Amino acid sequence: MDGLFFITRPKYDDATCYLFYWSQEIIDFAKNNGFRVISLDKERVDKKTVINILVKTSPDLVFLNGHGDKDKIIGGKKEEIILDTNEKTNLKIKIIFSRSCRSAKTFGPHSISILGVKAFIGYDEDFTFYYDPEKIFRPLDDKLAELFLKPSNYVAVALMKGYSALESNDKSKNLFKKNIEKLLIEGPSSENYTAISFLYWDMVHQVCMGEGKTTL
Amino acid sequence: MEEEKDKIEKEISEDLKELVIARLDVFPKNKKISIGSEGDFTKKQLIEHIKKGDEIGEKIIEIQINFLKALKEGKLLEQINTSD
Repeated sequence: MDGLFFITRPKYDDATCYLFYWSQEIIDFAKNNGFRVISLDKERVDKKTVINILVKTSPDLVFLNGHGDKDKIIGGKKEEIILDTNEKTNLKIKIIFSRSCRSAKTFGPHSISILGVKAFIGYDEDFTFYYDPEKIFRPLDDKLAELFLKPSNYVAVALMKGYSALESNDKSKNLFKKNIEKLLIEGPSSENYTAISFLYWDMVHQVCMGEGKTTL
Repeated sequence: MEEEKDKIEKEISEDLKELVIARLDVFPKNKKISIGSEGDFTKKQLIEHIKKGDEIGEKIIEIQINFLKALKEGKLLEQINTSD
């Protein structure tokens, strides 16, 4: 499979630092599977650059990491809005996956109806995850964070494997379910048991909208 | 009538706070929870927010109640059993 994959990776606090490092496996997967990759990192994630890339390259898949709110997505600096509901540019993007809090609430529908995106996957509430602050310099060794970030990452992996937007969302949710099931079986003696309620929250609030049958 | 209703709602709200604080109390103290743009919190900080009754505290209560309801109503197990 080929196509253009555009990913943004801000990195200015603990949460974005984790998302930055955990997104690397998706970049590697994309490269190993024939995708051309544009990774826009850290402070370089600003509105002008993002819009330029989106307009000039029309990526098949856009993966936005970082903070956000129901009507906006934040870039490489706190309060730097890269996309919001004021944006009217017609973008020829097949699928957006936004790992950005609440952006599926208002920005998601806006991206479909105004920006012309075919399918949008994201969170209609805050995306939460547990982590071990002692692993902040080695986020990929953090098994606790992995419970959340691996299932979330799988949205992009499944899309690149050729599954539709809806199927990819479901496959990702299945990984959340498997982690919940694993912790339920391990029971309260597991040190990660209390993560269940937050895993469940992320799972139910990860939504797909637009044309669910869209593939890359 | 209105006063009685307010009193009951306040009692329920206090009960919920206590329930959620009891659940948070067993969270590992050396770990943190990232709640989107709200920030990163230890369990001690989350408990303080719940006691204060601010937006973050309310969010945590919502997350916990949402999970407990799914568990009680069998929705959680139903969802797990329908995965591939």
